[in-house]
Amino acid sequence: MEEFAIYTRFSAPPPCQAPRSSSPATPSPSLLFSSHTTKPLTLGPGLRHIPPSTITAALSGPLHTDPRKNALWIENNGGRYIPVQGDLVICSMHHSSVDAYHCSITPYTAPATLPQLAFEGASKKTRPVLAPGALVYARVSVAGKHMEPELECVHPGTGKAEGLGPLKGGMVWDVSLGMARRLLLPASKMREQGGLVLLELLAEKVRFEIAVGRNGRVWVDGGCEGDAGGGEGGRGDG
Amino acid sequence: MPREAELSLNEREFILQALRENVRLDGRAFDDIRELQLSFGDEYGVADVRLGKTSHNPFPDRKFDGIFTISTEFSPMASPAFEVGRPTEAETLLSRLLEKAIRRSSALDTEGLCIIAGLKCFALRADVHVLDHDGGLVDAACIALVAALRHFRRPDVRVEGENVTVYSVREREPVPLSLLHHPLCVTFSYFNGGEVVLVDANLVEEQVREAEVVVTMNRHGEVCQVAKYGGLPIDALALLNCTNVALAKVQMLDKVIQQRLEEDAKRRDKGGLMAELNGDTLHKDDDRLDRTTDWLAWVSEWIEKAIGLTVGVVAQRYAVRCMGVSEGGTGRGKARARALEEGEGETVRAM
Amino acid sequence: MPAPTHSQNGYTVIGAVNGPIEVQRRDEIPDEAAIEVNVRPATGIGSPKERHIEHILTALLRNIILTHDYPRTLIQLTLQILSVPATHSTLPSSSSLPILPALINTAYATLLAGSIRLSTTLTAVLVAVPKSELEAVAQKGSSHVFAFDGRGEAVLVHSEGKKFEIEEWEQACEAARGCVLG
Repeated sequence: MEEFAIYTRFSAPPPCQAPRSSSPATPSPSLLFSSHTTKPLTLGPGLRHIPPSTITAALSGPLHTDPRKNALWIENNGGRYIPVQGDLVICSMHHSSVDAYHCSITPYTAPATLPQLAFEGASKKTRPVLAPGALVYARVSVAGKHMEPELECVHPGTGKAEGLGPLKGGMVWDVSLGMARRLLLPASKMREQGGLVLLELLAEKVRFEIAVGRNGRVWVDGGCEGDAGGGEGGRGDG
Repeated sequence: MPREAELSLNEREFILQALRENVRLDGRAFDDIRELQLSFGDEYGVADVRLGKTSHNPFPDRKFDGIFTISTEFSPMASPAFEVGRPTEAETLLSRLLEKAIRRSSALDTEGLCIIAGLKCFALRADVHVLDHDGGLVDAACIALVAALRHFRRPDVRVEGENVTVYSVREREPVPLSLLHHPLCVTFSYFNGGEVVLVDANLVEEQVREAEVVVTMNRHGEVCQVAKYGGLPIDALALLNCTNVALAKVQMLDKVIQQRLEEDAKRRDKGGLMAELNGDTLHKDDDRLDRTTDWLAWVSEWIEKAIGLTVGVVAQRYAVRCMGVSEGGTGRGKARARALEEGEGETVRAM
Repeated sequence: MPAPTHSQNGYTVIGAVNGPIEVQRRDEIPDEAAIEVNVRPATGIGSPKERHIEHILTALLRNIILTHDYPRTLIQLTLQILSVPATHSTLPSSSSLPILPALINTAYATLLAGSIRLSTTLTAVLVAVPKSELEAVAQKGSSHVFAFDGRGEAVLVHSEGKKFEIEEWEQACEAARGCVLG
């Protein structure tokens, strides 16, 4: 098994203690993380591998390790959303072309393509008609740094929408990327990985419909304004 | 190329619906202004204004030729839609409004900037830097500009024939600008065909509004300018009502600026020349006065101490005349001089 | 977007970063991010001096930012000078060094806060020879700005002022290294 040296900026964190702080690397002192399992070492966001055996931090934030999955990543709460395949996002329609809608995931970036037939049961005649400015809850189907992202509102295997599609009514709030990630964590991972019980607790009190996008946007529909105001309170300090 | 991020249809509809039901997104009442935070820099004439998230930072500085210019340039810091070297519509609008509200309403007495008529004058330049943009740019910029002008001190000058000596801050206490009045702007935004009127709209509200009216007035209720943008027709009586609301807001804002200026003056004054003048030295001088009654020595020393103070010098001349010329004797002259000093101390501190 | 403020040598600078955002066609680079630095003076509009500083900063940051992670985008950094020390007006108008460390360190803090992927850390410091007040340096002696990356290598060296010997420069470099890397 290979050994990797991880360079962190701050001096001598004990090897077993997580989270540690790190920032774009300085090469001393080093901390050894041995990959003892048969699984390959997985590097999450914020870390960079320089062959042959150096890993440095590219972003600032606490360093997290998961020995079971043999994974390392840096928890980072800021910045602009960069599309990753499989992420759920809330985007707004910008303009439409012959066979696709062009949606903006974050402002001031190149629009993503959403094929007009990528909706549940959509055909040339039954496809939803979206006006510019309409909100869509979609999954990123193709993403890469060299190409414009593509979106879909239907599961390619089952052909079902699974909650995706145009969002009607309601209101959108901006939250930080870290907050959006925590809101999206499944209930089973709640406590240990910083998930939030907020939505469950709220659901006991009021009825509302919510869609959380990894791009830091949360759509809430409470039926009337008073209820949706609760969503605003939920923005918290995320 | 970069456009201002547009609101989605859902957001537009939600905000308008909420307004129809008398609710504002941030929970403010329709005629509420966001909390004004105002602070001053270490230099004279630097004011930092925060209205909600909108933030401004003007610096009046004596720099170029001319008389009084206001420069507003947006940087991509406030919003990526602001491009360097290409003024947006909002930027043109802001500079025009400030021009009308402050320069054309002759808030600044530009004659006071003149040193020798036709030959030499001060040139004052105010740079308004927009650091963050969450609506209400005009209101915030105007507050910042007025606060900075009131805070600014220009260097003192002495004119002898055609020779002008400009004293540095260390040599002589700099003097404040002469402002004739303090105009402030209040922006009203109209929604739902004029049914809903908001004061101090934030950025999202600004994006869905149908018309805006900017009223500039001073705390005495004198309207300096009224500007209306957007296509919606507005009733004349409604406009009158606007000025009434604006007056209350302007008086409130003016009070906040006044308060901050006083706090800042107090902070600067600590242990400074004024403390020295008002405190120990005078008592010492009084003692000596009783012992020796050496008028000339006392007066010249006092003048030396007060040399940085323009007002002090004027008052001193008056004191010399009173004491030297009047027949009233020691007691009267001293009492008068002391009364004068105390009164003068108050004035200076209040500035 | 976060906006860190940093003060050094009496200069206060606030920074903001937008990015990665859509880039104009003419500035687009197919395999890396375009970097745009705007330096805005406290008073007046930008002059060739600010353009010169922007040029230095752009070249420096291109080595620090992992630009290949953001192809065909723009990373736009705005640095607004908020206050300058009283001694600033006594410096020759061509002098751009005293403000440079404050700008570099603010730029670094801004990029960190804006979660832009970086290859290393960056710290800059101003060294005056002989060791004295800035005012004195303007008349005699020289000033040097050194910036070091995380490995302790100098990534930026700028000198200005009257004649200086290579030994003086080396001493200044050592002093800067000691100051930055401890």
